[in-house]
Amino acid sequence: MKRVTGLVLTGLIAVCVLSACKPEAGEEKDGKLKVMASFYTMGDFAQKAGGDEVEVTTMVPAGTEPHDWEPEAQDIAALEEADVFIYNGAKMEHWVKDVLNTLENKELIVVEAAEDIELLGSHGHQGEEGVYDPHVWLDPRNAEKQMETIGEALEKAAPDKQEYFRENCSKYKTEFAQLDQEFEEQLEPLPGKDIIVAHEAFGYLCRAYGLNQIGIEGLSPDSEPDPARMEEIIEFARENKVKTIFFEELTSPKVANTIAKETGADTAVLNPLEGLTEEEIEEGKDYFSVMRENLQALVKALQ
Amino acid sequence: MSVLQYAFMQKAFIVGILLAIITPCIGMTIVLKRMSMIGDALAHSSLAGVAFGLLLGINPVLGATAFCIFAALGIEGIRKKTPRYSEMAIAIVMSAGIGLAGVLSGFVKNSANFNSFLFGSIVAISDLELWMVILVSVLVLLVFLLLYKELFYVGFDERAARISGVSVKTVNFVFTLLTALTVSIASRTVGTLIVSSMLVVPVACGMQIGKSYRNTLILSIILAVLFTVAGLTVSYYGKLKPGGTIVLTGVLVFVIIVVFKSIRIKYKKHKAVQ
Repeated sequence: MKRVTGLVLTGLIAVCVLSACKPEAGEEKDGKLKVMASFYTMGDFAQKAGGDEVEVTTMVPAGTEPHDWEPEAQDIAALEEADVFIYNGAKMEHWVKDVLNTLENKELIVVEAAEDIELLGSHGHQGEEGVYDPHVWLDPRNAEKQMETIGEALEKAAPDKQEYFRENCSKYKTEFAQLDQEFEEQLEPLPGKDIIVAHEAFGYLCRAYGLNQIGIEGLSPDSEPDPARMEEIIEFARENKVKTIFFEELTSPKVANTIAKETGADTAVLNPLEGLTEEEIEEGKDYFSVMRENLQALVKALQ
Repeated sequence: MSVLQYAFMQKAFIVGILLAIITPCIGMTIVLKRMSMIGDALAHSSLAGVAFGLLLGINPVLGATAFCIFAALGIEGIRKKTPRYSEMAIAIVMSAGIGLAGVLSGFVKNSANFNSFLFGSIVAISDLELWMVILVSVLVLLVFLLLYKELFYVGFDERAARISGVSVKTVNFVFTLLTALTVSIASRTVGTLIVSSMLVVPVACGMQIGKSYRNTLILSIILAVLFTVAGLTVSYYGKLKPGGTIVLTGVLVFVIIVVFKSIRIKYKKHKAVQ
C-alpha cells in the first residue's frame, strides 16, 4: 500500500515538475514580443525600437549597479519564456555566457548590442591586455548603432512588424544625431578638456568629443583606491585646475568627496547610464534626458 | 614628509592610530574568551542593519549600530548556553547576519545608498566619520581603563571572577556594547577587513612575546600602531591597497615572531642537550 502511494506521489511530482518546465509555447495573447534586456539602457533602447509591439523586462533592477549583478532563478525562468534577449556585451554582463549555456529555450533570439561597434581598450591603471571598455552607449553615435542592431533582432523575431520597427529606429536616428550635435556644439568651444570621474566609463564619450578622462577607479566602480592613485589624481586636478570631481549615482561618493575636499573642487553627478533609480524612471527620465543632464554637468565643469 | 602633505592621508593616520590603540584593548579580552571571529560576525550583522535602516527609513548608521549591539548580545546569550563552544555562537550569529543582509538588501531599492554605507576605506574618511571614531575611541579607552581589573579577571576565568565578587554580568554587558560600537563605527569608516583583523592579529603577536597580561596588552597596542603606520606608508609608496597592506604587515610580523621564537627554543634545547 505504502509503495503504491509512493509511486502515485512520485508520478504526480514528476508531472508537476515537467509541466512547470514546459511553458506554453507560442505567442502571448496580446501578440507582443517578450523582450528581456540585461540592464537599463538596453531596456530603454529595446522599448524605443519596439514601441507598442514589445513587452520589455529589464533584468538588473532599478537603482542597482550592474557590474556586480547576477541573475536570480526568476530571471533565468523568464528567459526561458522570452522571445528576445538583449545584452550589451564587451564583458559588461559577465554572466551571459553561463546563463545562455544553461537555457533550454531554442527559439530565443540573442542580441549582443555592442557587436558591431569598435571597442576601445582600457587604458586605466588597472588595465590588462584584452580588457575592453564596455560603456559604448555613452557615445550617441554608438547608441544609435546599438538601437539599430536591436531593431534588426526584433524584426527577426516578428518579421510581420518589420516596417513598424524600422520606422521607430529611423525616428530615433534623428534624435541621436541631434544629441550628438548638441554635445559637439556645446563642448567644442569650452577651454577645459579634462574630467575626473569615479570610474573610467566615459572613454567613448571622451573620444567622440575630444575630452580626456581620469578615472579614480578603473573600469569597474567601488573598489578601494590606493593612496598613490589618489595622490596622482589630486596632483592632476591641481595642475589642470579641474573644478569638478564627478561621481555616479549608483556608487559611493566617498572617494570623490575626499578628493574634491583636498583640491577645493565641487562634486557633481555624471551618469554612465548603467541604471536609473526608481524615482528617476518615475520622473520619466530616459537615455536622452540623462545624456542632456550629463552635457549640462560637463558644460558647467569645463567652462 | 610627503606622506602627510594631504589631508586624506592625515585623516588616515589619525583614524588608523586611534583604532590601533583601542582594538587591542577589546581584542585582548576577545582572544582570551576564545571569540576571535567576533569582529567578522558583527561586521556582517551590521550590513543587515544598514539594509534594515534603509528599508525603514531610519538612519542606516543607527540601524547598523543597533544590529551590531543586538548581534553581540545574541552571541553573548548563546555563549552562555554553550560555554564550552563559544565559537559556535559566533558562527550562528554570523550566518544569521549574512543571511539577513542578503535577503534585506534585495529589498533596498537604491543600491547607491547601500554601497555608500558598505564601502569603508581608510583613505576616504569624511569629517563626520573622523569625529565619530575619535568619540568612540575616547569612550572605549575610558571604560576600558575603568574596568581594567574586572576585564582581566573575566577574560581568564569567569567563574573565579564571579566568586571574587566581580559583577560578571555587568562587565560582560558593557564589554559587549563597547565591542559592538567599535566594530559598527570602524567597519563603516575603514572597512571590515582592518577592524576584524586588528582585533586579533596584534594580540596574537603580543601573546608570543609578552610576559604578563599588562605587558602583552602594551606590546599589542605598540605593534598595532606600528602595523598601521607601516602599512599605510608602504601602501602609499608602493601603490598598494591600504587595507590589505596593513593587515598583511601584521600577519607577516606574526609569522616572523613565531618562526624566530621556535628557532630560539630549538637552539636553547640544543644547548641544553650539549
